[in-house]
Amino acid sequence: MSDLVWNIGYGHFLVLAAVLFLIGVGGVLFRRNALIILMSVELMLNAANVTLLAFSRMWGDLSAHTFALIVIAVAAAEASVGLAIVVAVFRGRRNVEVDRLTTLRH
Amino acid sequence: MIRTPLVIVRAAGSAAAAIAALALVACAPPVTPAPCPPAVQAKVKDQLRTATSITCRTHRAEAATADIAVGDIDRVEALAAFPDGRTASVDITTDGKTIQSITYTHNDLVASSSKSLALMFWLFAFATVGGAVFVVSRRNLIAAVMGMVGSFLGIAAIYMMLYAQFLAIVQMLVYAGAIMVLFVFVVMILNRPEDEPVAPAGRAGQAIGGLAILYLVGRLIMMLVRVQPPNVDLANAAPLPTAQGHDWGTIGAVGTDLFGPGLFPFEAISVLLLVAVVGAIAIARPLRPGGDNAGDDNDPLAGDAPSHPEGGAA
Repeated sequence: MSDLVWNIGYGHFLVLAAVLFLIGVGGVLFRRNALIILMSVELMLNAANVTLLAFSRMWGDLSAHTFALIVIAVAAAEASVGLAIVVAVFRGRRNVEVDRLTTLRH
Repeated sequence: MIRTPLVIVRAAGSAAAAIAALALVACAPPVTPAPCPPAVQAKVKDQLRTATSITCRTHRAEAATADIAVGDIDRVEALAAFPDGRTASVDITTDGKTIQSITYTHNDLVASSSKSLALMFWLFAFATVGGAVFVVSRRNLIAAVMGMVGSFLGIAAIYMMLYAQFLAIVQMLVYAGAIMVLFVFVVMILNRPEDEPVAPAGRAGQAIGGLAILYLVGRLIMMLVRVQPPNVDLANAAPLPTAQGHDWGTIGAVGTDLFGPGLFPFEAISVLLLVAVVGAIAIARPLRPGGDNAGDDNDPLAGDAPSHPEGGAA
């Protein structure tokens, strides 16, 4: 038990990333506000990045750093477009609760 | 009565096995370590670019010190040391052509049992997870954004612990800087009444803010006072970075990889960002000045522009 607490290994980073990813999944599934959903997606992308970097360190392969940088850029692009969609939806409908956006349902 | 012979048989069997093993060891050809051929060293250097020193050992049947022919090498193993303290043992085929396995011994900072480092890990892991829980549990959107910023700062520290210095800085700039500002702007545009800023109010809040500003200014002044003139000799004596000799995770190392094998994804990312910028502007602007949403007087986006120019939205 004390070994688990005081001896930080790569498993700790992977478990942390998994917990972060699960929190993000919970946010996407259970929250209805589109902004919160976007933030939860960002959390999941960051969890994936932590996993990438932990494995990169584990295997001594630096190319995952390039990959993580690209993930960050894609996340930034996704956030900007997602927020633009949120603003456009809000302008037309006065709220951003995703379960009220039912225009495409029929 | 029955057990005694069994014990004797077992003991005799063990003794015979031990004697056989000893005989095998004694009869095996003498293995003498010798330095490795340069081809093997080059191969290991090629595979482990960040290694600083590579020491090879070849085990050979005969202790000839002349040039090493391929045939009389029994086993080649190399030990590679990295600038951050890790070591790796490399198992190579006897002709030096392929590397069969690389085993890292994780005696770096992350895997060491330093208690302060473990405490730091738990602190930042708690900040990360706590911020993430804040994001998904708060009704107040500003509080959720601030939780996200805390989570991202914790992740930046976690990157630092994984020796990804450059990515930690990028994480702070992009997430805790740019994306946070973007989210706060959108929250303010949506402007729901319960999304008030969660700053400490009143005299106490002003005192805390003033103290923080004073502390930061003081630290800045201390830092500027302590700036040393650049020592040209020291700078010249520093080891020059080479393509192989970068430290792990620094800007140089990441840049070498980014502009080498990762050049095409890097260029593709620039196109993606351009498309995202154009797309975000195209989505977020009002569709038509006289359209269904322009009649809204309290539209926070269109409020300040009383008359949209006709050419502004084509």
